[in-house]
Amino acid sequence: MDQCRGGRVLTAGSSISVAFLRHRSCGWLENSALFFSATDGFRTDLSGKRSWLVASLLALGLFLLGGVTNLYAQTESQPPTVHYNQEPGVPPDTACRLCHGDKDETLALPSGETLDLGVDLTVLQDSVHGQHSATPLYCTDCHQSRERYLYPHAPTPVQSLAEFVDEVEQNCTQCHQPLALHNPGHLQAEDTTNLPGCTDCHGGHDATSAAIMKAEPIATCQSCHATYADERVAAAHEEIVANLGPEQSCLTCHGDQQTTANQQCKTCHGLLQSQLTLASGDQVDLHVDGTLIDESVHGFREIQGTAYMPLQCTDCHKDQQQYGFPHPQLTTDTRRNLTLEMESICQECHQDIYQRQHDGIHGVKQAEGELSAATCFDCHGNHAIHDPDDPRERVSHTCGNCHGEINEQYAQSVHGAALIGEDNPDVPVCTDCHGVHDISDPRTAAFRVNSPTLCGGCHADKVLMAKYDISTDVFETYVADFHGTTVTLFERQSPDQETNKAVCYDCHGVHNILPATDEHSQVIKDNLLTTCRQCHPDASANFPDSWTSHFQPSREHNPLVYWVNLFYTILIPTVVGGFALFIGTDLYRRLWERRS
Amino acid sequence: MSEKAQTYRRFDRWQRIEHGLLILSFTVLTLTGLPQKYSMTYWGSALIWLFGGIEVTRLIHRGAAILLMLETIYHAVAVSYKVLVRRVRLTMLPSWRDIVDGFHAMAYNVRLAKTPPRMGRYTFGEKVEYWAVIWGTVIMILTGFMLWNPIATTTFFPGQWIPAAKAAHSGEALLAVLSIVTWHVYNVHLKHFNRSMFTGAISHHEMQTEHAAELAELDAGHQPAPIATAVLQRRQRIFYPVAIVLSLVLLVALYLFVTIEQTAITTVPRQQVEVFTPQTPEASP
Repeated sequence: MDQCRGGRVLTAGSSISVAFLRHRSCGWLENSALFFSATDGFRTDLSGKRSWLVASLLALGLFLLGGVTNLYAQTESQPPTVHYNQEPGVPPDTACRLCHGDKDETLALPSGETLDLGVDLTVLQDSVHGQHSATPLYCTDCHQSRERYLYPHAPTPVQSLAEFVDEVEQNCTQCHQPLALHNPGHLQAEDTTNLPGCTDCHGGHDATSAAIMKAEPIATCQSCHATYADERVAAAHEEIVANLGPEQSCLTCHGDQQTTANQQCKTCHGLLQSQLTLASGDQVDLHVDGTLIDESVHGFREIQGTAYMPLQCTDCHKDQQQYGFPHPQLTTDTRRNLTLEMESICQECHQDIYQRQHDGIHGVKQAEGELSAATCFDCHGNHAIHDPDDPRERVSHTCGNCHGEINEQYAQSVHGAALIGEDNPDVPVCTDCHGVHDISDPRTAAFRVNSPTLCGGCHADKVLMAKYDISTDVFETYVADFHGTTVTLFERQSPDQETNKAVCYDCHGVHNILPATDEHSQVIKDNLLTTCRQCHPDASANFPDSWTSHFQPSREHNPLVYWVNLFYTILIPTVVGGFALFIGTDLYRRLWERRS
Repeated sequence: MSEKAQTYRRFDRWQRIEHGLLILSFTVLTLTGLPQKYSMTYWGSALIWLFGGIEVTRLIHRGAAILLMLETIYHAVAVSYKVLVRRVRLTMLPSWRDIVDGFHAMAYNVRLAKTPPRMGRYTFGEKVEYWAVIWGTVIMILTGFMLWNPIATTTFFPGQWIPAAKAAHSGEALLAVLSIVTWHVYNVHLKHFNRSMFTGAISHHEMQTEHAAELAELDAGHQPAPIATAVLQRRQRIFYPVAIVLSLVLLVALYLFVTIEQTAITTVPRQQVEVFTPQTPEASP
């Protein structure tokens, strides 16, 4: 018959079978039902009295046998664990299939819903629990309540479809782990009204294997989660789903295991590739490579024997109002303002440095409204923070990001060339002269009058300068000279007052310092007059010679000065010694006269 | 008036004023000069600080230098008047006898001579001091000019003269100060306090011990011959215009000394460089 959906399966011929099902959890046998099993011809011959009688007797006999067996089973603690089929090769739920496989009726439930009584046996057969699977189930494995599913079925007590499903789903745990362990995410949802049961995801009669589900996981989830209340969450999910890798699915974030906030942040922002557009039109990258942090100074580290774990996203992005999920709409208008707002994050751990930075020129300029003034991030980066002076050259590039022109000058200088070309460990990098966080304004009088001491820090260091065969007289001779004396006194006594006396960099250049032997050097003989005329516009051609060129006077260098000095070195003791001798003798005479 | 109580006039009022100016300028020059020479010592920088900083110290030093130069000009005119118009004896000129007196005094001190030297109006010690001041002042004014006007100087002379001038100015200053605190202080303050530079006169006893030869001359009645009024007036008629013109020339020279040169500009030019020249897009927030 065309309408008999179970016909394809049940072609073994007209027979009556009694199913003895083994209860999987405790092993007792249950005579769950007596089914009629018949061929297509059965119905047509149903009026035949002989057949009916034979069938009835057989059924009765078997029923009784079943009852005895059942009694036996209940008295025995160790019942046989085998399927009992009266006719080997015929499934025990043949009767269920026969009836429900060919039904299009529905059962009206008190809730007003209707329960479809038909079962698509093809679907059932192809399901993960189907007869072709490794673990075939019979109808009564799931619909196992003796009272309910014993034929003829008692009226169902369930009030609604949900209750019916719940009841059936109770049985899933016989083989599978409880829902609470398997899918904590759903159970922890705040809104508990629409929680899915096992069958909502895995299907009922069409239960899908986990492997297939994993192959098409998104579709499974999207059967419920097709839309989102928050349109930004929807957009984010759309993008994330589109960017999921081969090993990733909804479960990457919403898996069985409870994920930390850190993992959630990293997964989501690792998958996001788009930009967030701020009110000003500025765009902010949403993508964050989570590995950057682990590899950064905030990653796995061992400091003095103590191993440190990487910072968590939420260690910095701490404010739940702002960083809790779903994130509130960002109200910051520009990218720069976003950077500025975030700067205070660093303060929590780096309070001291943060304060110094804010006392420094960048902080002061920022307070004055100069938004481009460097923040922590501008120099250190954000997620990929690495040691700022490893290699030392890095410092120069960091500062050069904003101070490009100056950095270019520096790169050409004797210091910069040695740093960038040779990775020289001794030449000053930006921070050696300007300081690190509390960088002072180099345009102030204080910086200027202090600068010779700054240069002297290296150029008066005999050990250091010996490596490069540079005279350390430069500092002493400068201080001994008119310019240097004045500047040094200013430095000591009135550091905030401007002086017009030259400091090192007035002659040697600021960032573009060249070796004094370089043909372009401002201080080489040919260029010295021009250099002097910066401050002494009327300087004569001989005027530069009045500068002792950092040489201590000697017979070779500045001989006239040497001879004058020598003259007075001899004259003064001679004259004063002569006076003292005469005074001494006079005193002697007086003392002698007084005594005698 | 008994012989003992008699005093002998030694310095007139103008000379005493000159000495006062010299005390003032020399003291100020010393107090503002030595700290510059020893500016890196504690006491040196402390003194500079007391004067109000190195720039103020230099200003005071130069002010005192102007005073000393004015006094020098006056002294030149005053001495010229005495020498050219009044034709006084050149008692301050050093002579062979001063050297003999010096050795004699030394010999007397160490008891190799029985009697001290009998000296005239100015003893060898006083001449040393006077000529030391003259020598020193000339050196200081010349080297001071070079330091004050290095560009003007190097227009005509080698550049190295400037640091050499500084060395000389510095050495000479030390020599002058040490001479004053040894020779001058001992001879007129410690040995006994010779008040003649303030009172204008010395006692008979002082004349006897220090200027025995001059006292003997005075006692013998040697007096400079009076000058005939007509002669004096004739000399004055020549002297005054010449002196006035020369004084004016010297004063103009002094004015130029002070003002001829603007050595340096007052504000050092700053290097002009664009500070903020971002090379890469700003850091990601």
